[in-house]
Amino acid sequence: MRMNRLFRTATALSFTGAVALPLLPALAQDDLVTRDRVGLADAENSLTFRLTAYDLYSADPATAEGFVELFTTFINEHPGWRIDTQLQTGNLNEEQARILEQAQAGRGPDCAMIDSAQLATFKNAGVLAPMTDYFTQAEIDDLFPYVREAVTDDNGDIVALWWFTDLRVLYRNAGVVPDAPQTWEETQQAALDTVDEGYEGLLFNGGRTEGTAFDWLAFFWAQGGELVDETGAPIFYEGENREKFLAALQFYDDLVESGAAPQRVATITTYDDITAAAAAGTTAMFIGGNWQYAQLQTTLPVDQAEQWQVSELPGPTADQRATGTGGWAIAALSDDPAKVEMCAEIAKLYAGPGNAFQRLLPTSAALYEEYDEFAGPEFDVFAAALENGQARPGVASYPEISNQIQILLGEVLSQSKEPEQALDDAAAALEVGSDS
Amino acid sequence: MPKPIAQALSRRTATTPEASSIPYWAWLLPVMLVIGAFYIYPIIDALRLAFTDATLTGGAESYTVRSLQRVLSNPALPTILSNTAIFTAASVVGQQLLGLSVALLVVRGERHHLPGMLVLRTIVLAAWVVPGIANGVIWSMLFSESPFGAINGVLRLLELPTVAWLSNPANAMLSAIIANVWQGTAFSMIVLYAALKSVDPSLYEAAAVDGAPAWERFWFITLPQLKAAILVNSILITIQTLNTFDAILALTGGGPGRATEVLSLFAYNTVFYQFDLAGGSALSILLLLISLVLAALYMLFMPKRDM
Repeated sequence: MRMNRLFRTATALSFTGAVALPLLPALAQDDLVTRDRVGLADAENSLTFRLTAYDLYSADPATAEGFVELFTTFINEHPGWRIDTQLQTGNLNEEQARILEQAQAGRGPDCAMIDSAQLATFKNAGVLAPMTDYFTQAEIDDLFPYVREAVTDDNGDIVALWWFTDLRVLYRNAGVVPDAPQTWEETQQAALDTVDEGYEGLLFNGGRTEGTAFDWLAFFWAQGGELVDETGAPIFYEGENREKFLAALQFYDDLVESGAAPQRVATITTYDDITAAAAAGTTAMFIGGNWQYAQLQTTLPVDQAEQWQVSELPGPTADQRATGTGGWAIAALSDDPAKVEMCAEIAKLYAGPGNAFQRLLPTSAALYEEYDEFAGPEFDVFAAALENGQARPGVASYPEISNQIQILLGEVLSQSKEPEQALDDAAAALEVGSDS
Repeated sequence: MPKPIAQALSRRTATTPEASSIPYWAWLLPVMLVIGAFYIYPIIDALRLAFTDATLTGGAESYTVRSLQRVLSNPALPTILSNTAIFTAASVVGQQLLGLSVALLVVRGERHHLPGMLVLRTIVLAAWVVPGIANGVIWSMLFSESPFGAINGVLRLLELPTVAWLSNPANAMLSAIIANVWQGTAFSMIVLYAALKSVDPSLYEAAAVDGAPAWERFWFITLPQLKAAILVNSILITIQTLNTFDAILALTGGGPGRATEVLSLFAYNTVFYQFDLAGGSALSILLLLISLVLAALYMLFMPKRDM
């Protein structure tokens, strides 16, 4: 009796297995978005797409789910295609260098996300495929001028779509700092007042990371400072630029020396560290990116979230303002026209619905009108700040200039060097580097 | 030895006529090919690249000594070398001392049949298998100077002053050394534990009969017996520490400023920030030379019978 039951159970399981096993690949194929592909596994055409971990594979489940939906719709509209996704790690400099090296050896991805700061390097290396044919003239004309210039090569071809831009703003907890500081002096005083109330003071990136240099450059640019000349050679340590550079350095130095900012800013290397401090309520002011606004709104309870407000970065005077504008581009690195077209379509997916979902800042004016997601009051502040937006210089030497600025800011913030000495050392290092 | 056994051994060890006709170098060929392809060739290629103007951005390469000159005349190089010397020396000394302490503890515990010695060895080894990047991330959370930083949080609870672990340049180097020693101690412990187990117990018995106190037994028996192991361990962990950059990258990124930027991290930054393949290769060769010189120095002190 018992044996019979066992036999029947075994037979049933075997039968179920025999029927189900051949179906497993089909079931897996029906999953249109996996960790390494979008589309059916046996699709006729495929392209490789190297993307960052901020959207489709975001650690934030809501963001990832939203992009799974977007990509599912997208791939259904492009039957016969499979996108083989390759994830870039968080070490962006190394990742970008790897893409460049692989592209030159003919082993690069067909389509990739390129940091806007590295776009010039990729353009100069001649590895980007022209995409002009896949955009209308109206779409090209609608790009912000600095964006259009950055994605256009010497032949007048569009070689990438800079699909979103970003900018740096001053965040404050309006319950603690009711009025937005307009100048450096006001900012220092407001930060000191928050310290008196038990907060950490003003937080910003100050460690060895691109964000440190880029956030701070706004204070140099606000005075009209220039990093490089028309040939791309660094000039920020000479003449009037030197004075402007030192003035901006002194602003950061004074913040730490006065206690308006904690010395630990010299160790902050990610915006997430700052968001964490804001969410934990240990700081009432910070310099951050526009995307952090949405993060705070989704992280904090409504009553706390609405306390956080944004304003333009302060300047030496209220009339002198600037903010760094960055973002990411999508470019094709393939010679196959079909793949280049598919890459352009992916770029448009990110630029339109992708931006609207993440509430990032599109680089095309028309998109702000097209989507209701860009109607919040914070977008008025972002739009005003964008008028003073300044992109990083499109020169191949920028990564090393940024590296030297990160080093000298660390030296100044950790109080190990005076601003003049730190600037002189950075200039010497750059001059040795440019002797090649 | 009984005759049948001797004959059997003789048959097993005798080379066949076919084997003896193969030249000796043919036996070495497979290993030479592997070493040549995976060790020698990369070194030769790095050496070649050091004498070019190769970059990651492509373009035609040409042979020049300017890359080498540029690297050697970089005003940051003395600071980098000084950081490397401090980081390496302190890490090697720290790992040896802690490794020896833990090994002595374990051996002594085993001698007295104390329970938990295997668990102790396993716990120490756990740190060794942690990847360098994870090591840096773990210690960056512990050393965090934010109000919710782990170590400073404990200091606050004890009403002690907090420490600028990472934002003060001198402390940042100390923090990087602590993180590296924490990870590397297990390796030293294993090497020295094995050496301690091979010390002839009769030496200690004789010393005990002579009434030698503990420190004399350690100084006159244990340390001399461990000399070869300590020197071999020094060579291995010196080379390992010279090549360490992942933990520092995650912990401080080389900062603040250049306070914790060591030679291997500088080479990495040269390649991936400046896209300077030639400069990075030149720095790698410099690193190799330093490793070889230090290894040769250690070998001078090696007891001759152990060489």
